[in-house]
Amino acid sequence: MPLLASINTSAKEKGQFFISYSAENHQISDLVSGKKDVPDETDRDRHSFSQVLSASYAITDRWSVSALVSYVNHSRDIGLSIIGKTTSSGFGDSLALVRYTPLFFTPFSRHEVSLGLGMRVPTGDDDFGSGFVLSEDMQPSTGAYGGILWTSYSYAFNQAGTLQLNTSANYTYNGENDREYQFGHEFNFAVGLGHSVGTRFGYSAAVRYRTTQNDRRFGFDVPNTGGEWVEFVPAVAYAITDKFNIGASGRIPIARNLNGTLQFTTSYAYALSLSYAF
Amino acid sequence: MHYPCPMLSKSILSLGLVLLLVQSGYAKEAAPLFSGTSVNAGQQISLEAYRGKVVLVDFWASWCPPCLASLPAYNQMRQEIGTSEFEIIAINVDEDTEDGLAFLEDHPVDYPVLADPEGDIGIPYGIRTLPRSFLLDRNGQIIASYNSFKAGDEVNLRQEITALLEQ
Repeated sequence: MPLLASINTSAKEKGQFFISYSAENHQISDLVSGKKDVPDETDRDRHSFSQVLSASYAITDRWSVSALVSYVNHSRDIGLSIIGKTTSSGFGDSLALVRYTPLFFTPFSRHEVSLGLGMRVPTGDDDFGSGFVLSEDMQPSTGAYGGILWTSYSYAFNQAGTLQLNTSANYTYNGENDREYQFGHEFNFAVGLGHSVGTRFGYSAAVRYRTTQNDRRFGFDVPNTGGEWVEFVPAVAYAITDKFNIGASGRIPIARNLNGTLQFTTSYAYALSLSYAF
Repeated sequence: MHYPCPMLSKSILSLGLVLLLVQSGYAKEAAPLFSGTSVNAGQQISLEAYRGKVVLVDFWASWCPPCLASLPAYNQMRQEIGTSEFEIIAINVDEDTEDGLAFLEDHPVDYPVLADPEGDIGIPYGIRTLPRSFLLDRNGQIIASYNSFKAGDEVNLRQEITALLEQ
C-alpha cells in the first residue's frame, strides 16, 4: 500500500496544522509474466481498500513533522477455487516523517526543495486468519519496521506558481517481521506538472516509476515478488474554502517488468481525499 | 465566569493575550526598515519617517486574486480613518513592475506604493504568500500580521487600528 503518497502534502508555514483523510481502492487483477500481460482464466477478483488519516504540523517555515495511520481492507475471491472469498481488515502500518525544506516558494524564489527522514511502524495485525495465517499480501500490516528517505523538488514556471514542475523520490527500507518475512525494499520516483486554474481548481499529471526488490522469507528470495512499474497518475483538486480541499486521483499502469514467471498486480487504482489546513 | 483569585484571572488574561499575539503571527518585534521611491506618486518613502504613526505595510502583486479586493478596501479604510496618525505603505512584488502599474491604473490607491521585484523588502519580512500585511504601532513594532484577504477582513483590521490609535 503506497502510504507515502498520502503524506506528500504537508503543513508549510510556521504554526500551520494540516489534516487529511484519503481513501484509495486498488484493483489487483492483472496477471503479468515479466513484461507481458497474461489472460487470467481463474475468474479471480482481488482488491485492497485503504483509508489513511494523516496530520502534519510546521514547527518552523523549514521544519515540519507528519504522521499517518491507516486502516486496510483486503479482499480476494478466487472464483474457480473451493476456497472462495477471503477477506481481512484492520489497522495497517503507520508512518512518521520529519521534513526539512531548505528552499521554498516565495514571490522571489521559484524553487522548492524538501528532504525527509521517516519511520514505518507496524501498528496493525500481520498474522490475520482463522485456522491458518493468510499470505503476506493479505495482511493489513507488514508487521515490520521500516526506514524512509524522502525528497522532492518543484519549480514554478511563473511567479504566481500556477504552473509547476514537481518531482519526488523516496526509498523505503523494510525490516523483517516476526515470521521472518521481509517485504522488498522500494524506490519511487515521480515527475509531473501541476496547474492551478483560478483560486479554487487545480489538476496535475505525473509519471511514476516504482521498483521493489524481491520479498524475502527466512533470508531467501520469494519468487514472483518485486519488479518495476511505470504508472500514469492524474489528479484534480478543488478548494471548497481557503482551508478545506477535496481531491481525486488515479493510477493507470503504463509499463511493468515483474520478477518471476507470474504475478498478480495492480490493474488500476483511484483515491479520494479531504484535507483541512489551519 | 467568576475567578476567586484575582491573580489567577490576571494570569489567564495574560495567557490569552500571549496566545492572541502568537496566533496573529507575532509577539512584538521591530519591523525591518526600508526606503524607496513610490511608483504611483514619485515621492521618497522611508518607513523610519513614519515613527509616531500607526502603519499598515501591505505586500501585493497583480497576479494575486485577493489583492483585487484588498487594495480598494484598504484605500477606502485609509480615507475613513484619515492620514494624520495612520498610513498604508504598499509593496508591489511583481517581477515586472509594469504589471503592478497596470493593475494600479485599474485599481488606483491614494497611499504610496513601492516596487520590490527582487525581494529587498519582502525577504526580510519573510513573505511566502500574498497578500500579506503587517500592522505596526507608533514605535515601528510589528503588532500583528495577516495572511490573505477576503471581503469583510477590513472590519476587524480597522478595529485593531483604532485600538492602536487610541493608545
